[in-house]
Amino acid sequence: MRSPRPHLIAGLLLTPLLAGCFSSSGHDSSSGSGSGDGGRLSVALAFAPAENYSPYGQDGIDLSRLGVVEGLTRLDANGTAVPALAESWSSEQDGRSWVFTLRDAKFQDGTDVTAKAVASALTHAAAADPAPAAISGVKLTAQAVGDDQVKVSAAETDPVLPLRLANPNLAVFSPKAYGKDGKVNPVGTATGPFALTKITGDTAATLDRFDDYWGGRAQASGIDAKFISDGTARANALRTGDVDIAEAIPVAQVASLKKATVHQINTARNTSLFLNTQAGIFKDAGLRAAAREAIDTAAVAKGVFEGYAEPAKGLYGPALSWAAGKRTAPTGRAKATSPKGKSITIATYSDRPELPESAQVLQQQLEKAGFTVKLEVRTYARLESDLLTEKFDAAVVARNVMLDTGDPVTVLASDFACAGSYNLAFLCDKNVDKLVAAAGAESDPSKRQDAAMKAEAAILGTDAVIPLVHLKVVTGIGTSVKGAVLDPYEREFVGTGTRR
Amino acid sequence: MLTAALVCAIGLLPWLSRTDPALTVLKARSAERTPDPATLRAIRVELGLDEDPFRLLGKWLGGLLRGDAGRSWVSDTEVLPAVAQALGASLLLMAGAVVVAVLTAGATCARTLWLGSRRRLGGRGPGGTGSAVLAALPEFLVASVLASVVGVQLGWLPALGWYGPRWMILPALALGLPTGAILGRMLDDLLPSAFTEPWALAAAARGVPPASVARQALRRCAPGLLPNLALFVVGLTGGSVAVETLFDIPGLGRLTLRAALAQDLPVLQTGTLALVALAALAALLARFGVRRLTGPALRDGALHSLHRPTPPAPRVVPLVYGLLLATVIALGLPRGPLALNTTDRLQAPSWTHPFGTDALGRDVLARIAHGALSTLGTALAVSAAALLTGVLLGLLPRLSGPLVDTVNAVPSVLAALLVTGIAGSGPWTPALAVAVVAWSPLATHTSALLRQERATLHLTATRALGAGPWYLLRHELLPAVLPPVVRHALLRLPGIALGLAALGFLGLGAQPPSPEWGLLLAENQPYVERAPWAVLAPAAALTLLGALAVTAAGGARLPRRRPKQPTVTVRPADSGPAAPSAETARHAVLAPAPTDSR
Repeated sequence: MRSPRPHLIAGLLLTPLLAGCFSSSGHDSSSGSGSGDGGRLSVALAFAPAENYSPYGQDGIDLSRLGVVEGLTRLDANGTAVPALAESWSSEQDGRSWVFTLRDAKFQDGTDVTAKAVASALTHAAAADPAPAAISGVKLTAQAVGDDQVKVSAAETDPVLPLRLANPNLAVFSPKAYGKDGKVNPVGTATGPFALTKITGDTAATLDRFDDYWGGRAQASGIDAKFISDGTARANALRTGDVDIAEAIPVAQVASLKKATVHQINTARNTSLFLNTQAGIFKDAGLRAAAREAIDTAAVAKGVFEGYAEPAKGLYGPALSWAAGKRTAPTGRAKATSPKGKSITIATYSDRPELPESAQVLQQQLEKAGFTVKLEVRTYARLESDLLTEKFDAAVVARNVMLDTGDPVTVLASDFACAGSYNLAFLCDKNVDKLVAAAGAESDPSKRQDAAMKAEAAILGTDAVIPLVHLKVVTGIGTSVKGAVLDPYEREFVGTGTRR
Repeated sequence: MLTAALVCAIGLLPWLSRTDPALTVLKARSAERTPDPATLRAIRVELGLDEDPFRLLGKWLGGLLRGDAGRSWVSDTEVLPAVAQALGASLLLMAGAVVVAVLTAGATCARTLWLGSRRRLGGRGPGGTGSAVLAALPEFLVASVLASVVGVQLGWLPALGWYGPRWMILPALALGLPTGAILGRMLDDLLPSAFTEPWALAAAARGVPPASVARQALRRCAPGLLPNLALFVVGLTGGSVAVETLFDIPGLGRLTLRAALAQDLPVLQTGTLALVALAALAALLARFGVRRLTGPALRDGALHSLHRPTPPAPRVVPLVYGLLLATVIALGLPRGPLALNTTDRLQAPSWTHPFGTDALGRDVLARIAHGALSTLGTALAVSAAALLTGVLLGLLPRLSGPLVDTVNAVPSVLAALLVTGIAGSGPWTPALAVAVVAWSPLATHTSALLRQERATLHLTATRALGAGPWYLLRHELLPAVLPPVVRHALLRLPGIALGLAALGFLGLGAQPPSPEWGLLLAENQPYVERAPWAVLAPAAALTLLGALAVTAAGGARLPRRRPKQPTVTVRPADSGPAAPSAETARHAVLAPAPTDSR
């Protein structure tokens, strides 16, 4: 046969030398040490660390999901702040500042969690530029009060400060984690039940159990985390047994998993159709009403999301368990007028494959009602700047209503108030602004929720947004795994009780 | 020079594409973060974007001279180790793929080799429906099938990761099979001419063993292919994004794609530079290989071509393919390609939906039929443009050589971004973006064949008879070079259709719910395991097109019509989508026995 080229032979001979070109498998640590505890867990996460594990951005979420970091507080299933590193807290000066009492805890490097260390960690976070999303615009300051108390203050009254501190952006690291260049080294310096021991670029990480964790020793002896961005690949990893837990399985792949490995939970994410109220034909509230009446959300939930989503009832879905009981009917809706073949462009993005499909279903429904519909699909990064400049008549967008602050009102202010920074409907309505501001000022959690629901009714009354579905997230969990944490706010994933 | 221009163009990418890099960097770091002005300002300050682009570029270049490629804008980690690591993984993957490709190519032309070395080739035309089908298969489809069947269901080989040689096999197969099929077709195209050369006849007469004759024939043809192999080496290293994604391989393709989308310029520049360097090295090696194989004969103009193989007998096969494709289209046209019905989603083929339905319950047959015209139209137009450019530039190897090496090293997304930046996003931008890259393998092929043809004795003879350069070009060179290149261009037609669809995610090209074929493949890709028909049907249509194109080029006429006289002009074929008939032109890629060249 054909003689191979010289450089090919060289390439083949070099293969052993090139072994360094393979990823290290991360399985080198003692696997399943057999001391009666669970073995090591292997998990597949969807979002690779983009910023080298800086806690001040999205990577903080990964750190939190792997049980590496904690803040002073954490969110419980109802979305309220409950104790984490802080045992208790109280507000002073009418909510301008809060005093947190710390519990007895240790950093993963063996030093004690002191008030000074916590204050310094929060100060570092506040000084980060760009500011972490959870405290953007807050002007947070922190100082130690005695040995076990930290006083955290904001420039203005901030009733949701304890919620903000639950964000992994504000996780606490030991003083030695903070380098001179403002970077944070999370390897072995945090307080969670698992400590990072080795980072392999943005493809994998190795974690060992932190035995002195204040909440008790974790059951799994360690975690091998892989970052696999492709949903099909994550599903395959679970099916072949490469990983024990795979997060965020795309709807299209769920059917290929064994039934017993599919676990779903409601999330605070919605998919909604935002209508441009400032330019184009949807300036007319009658046409917005016509669009709303034309849309059958059940077809989207069932036909596109295969039941892994619920038809939307409002802006707040079932993940916020308090919302359903407090909902009031939308007020002041306009009467639908006939679109008479008027043409619109709906924008959406392909990063979530369900969105273009939803848009196509909407396209058909709207065309049946008399609109002429064109679609524009790009990746999100290529779409966003046009989305924010009134370029399209409508947009199908998936949005997390809890955002980084963990507070349900923040999203109303950013998405539907005149000055909102992510106001995709370009809504500017005095009544909405008034109600959103009122909700934002409310400090009692229950009253705050009531006020938020009032604002929701007013927003839905304008028909600026048509909520389509409340999304669920599917986690693939191997049948031998027990105690994985399904968190509607997507901040927890592996806990002390997770084992194999 | 060209490399410098390329690096400059990348350095100016954000300013060309009028997209704020602070915004794309922010989105790459955290997709859900609201881009408020304060955040963007902070990023701009952090990255030093307020300076003018030329100073940024200068700084980066200055650092590069000191061996420091800067830090990634997104992750703020050092670029060089990350790129080196990714390059290593990609090179390894590429090496595996090339091994597979060479084996595939061998299998593709095994029949020709076997028959030819025994002088039983006769007037047989190229076979190769099988290889044409393989060449037209999209990489991601091969990869998906391998991963889910061999990796997941059978569990024979790992379907995911990059931890050792065992992990290489499936991705290397996915990349190597289509590549090998293309190389094999090109080789198969040249071999019959080699076997009709006098040395082969002499060898047979002297009783030289067939294996030896076959080996020498391969050696005769290799110089025409080596430059293309070099192109594949670079293309596979930098452009295997789909396979890298599906098998989760931390390779250079994914790295540069992400960097291009995030406008992470230091990473993009370094990655592209690495690819350009690799391209230069590969081209050098290919040139060296060609010289070793035919050098003295080239220099002395001692290649001679006395015999021209008889054109392969025209066959009915392409007509069958054409008819099949036409039937599918005719059956699908009366159906509605856009009528979606989500209760009927992912239905298996049945009488009501002969090709099944897609994820939104649309009839796949209808979508294929309605998408045919736009897909074929654009893809053919791009192919024709690429062919024209490729041949024209291939005639000027001094000019095109470095250009090809540079263009080929540019990741296709980057090329699209640059083209969009310069030309704006009009309806023809995606076609332009694909054409900008698509001509390079054709130019390489042209110039490789041309170099050999220039060194033939009959050319010297014609020149001695007083023929001017134009006469030589029109009557001797082009007729010899065009047919294989045209067949090569047709072989790449399906790839171009896919390439056009791959740009959709930049907001270029066909948008849903258009039934363009590439889009059909892309939108049904997530369902490939649950509803294989939704992907296989458009893939089959594409491969049918590929097979049609290849076989039509080898004789797309009814058997009773015989070519009367060798002519120079390339005539449209009697059937098939404007596949130029080429076998009337003379095969003249001939030369003496390679043993002469020592």
